[in-house]
Amino acid sequence: MSERIPRATSSGAGRVLIAVYAIFALSATARAGVQIAGRFSEAPVAYLLSALAGVVYILATIGLAGHGPGYRKLAWAAVAFELAGVLVVGTLTVFDGADFPDDTVWSVYGRGYGFVPLVLPIIGLWWLRHTRAR
Amino acid sequence: MIDALVIVVLVATGALAVLGIGTTVRNRPPGRVHTLAVGAVEALLVIQAVIAAARVFGGVPLPESTTFLIYLVVSVCVLPIALQFATAEPTRWGGTVIAVAAIATGVAVLRLQGLWAAGGV
Repeated sequence: MSERIPRATSSGAGRVLIAVYAIFALSATARAGVQIAGRFSEAPVAYLLSALAGVVYILATIGLAGHGPGYRKLAWAAVAFELAGVLVVGTLTVFDGADFPDDTVWSVYGRGYGFVPLVLPIIGLWWLRHTRAR
Repeated sequence: MIDALVIVVLVATGALAVLGIGTTVRNRPPGRVHTLAVGAVEALLVIQAVIAAARVFGGVPLPESTTFLIYLVVSVCVLPIALQFATAEPTRWGGTVIAVAAIATGVAVLRLQGLWAAGGV
């Protein structure tokens, strides 16, 4: 076996990661859908952010579940964006809650979701690194 | 929602999570026990969903009935999909996939209970 071929991100423990991402993709997208359809004018920024988070989780799930370099690039980009998102939104909401009248998945580093949104991208990046070609 | 059934469902999803993690710890792939356990928990979830949906459509007023119904659908859909995904590749991690789904389902049921209680019924 060549050592240069990357291992599949969708195998073994990676399947647990994909399961968690899929659940977050589902819950963030469903939540954003209800918010935007029902009461968009109340907090448009927060609801658009919820939708963006949902899309990022969907892309990360697809990237991790797929095989090949394209999917791996997609997973890297989505997970890195997710980490940046949770850090930026988390920090903004800690220091100034006024701009975010309603909670998003990433508010206060994902406190409403047991801080899983903060830990998840870190594990995701580690997993992508762990399974890369070397 | 019926309080007693909510408690039974939460205990069942908790037990399923423990079973799943235990399987991973013992380094075994998910087997027949898991299929039966998921089936049993799923049966409880379907009963709960049918009763709750019947009461919502029957006119019980809820402040966020759309959100409630979405959570209701999620509560019955996650476990069957997870079982499929967990058994598709027979490794030790299948158990943890089931456990993650069981915990997520438990959280969805807790949110359902919260939304139901907000309706004051």
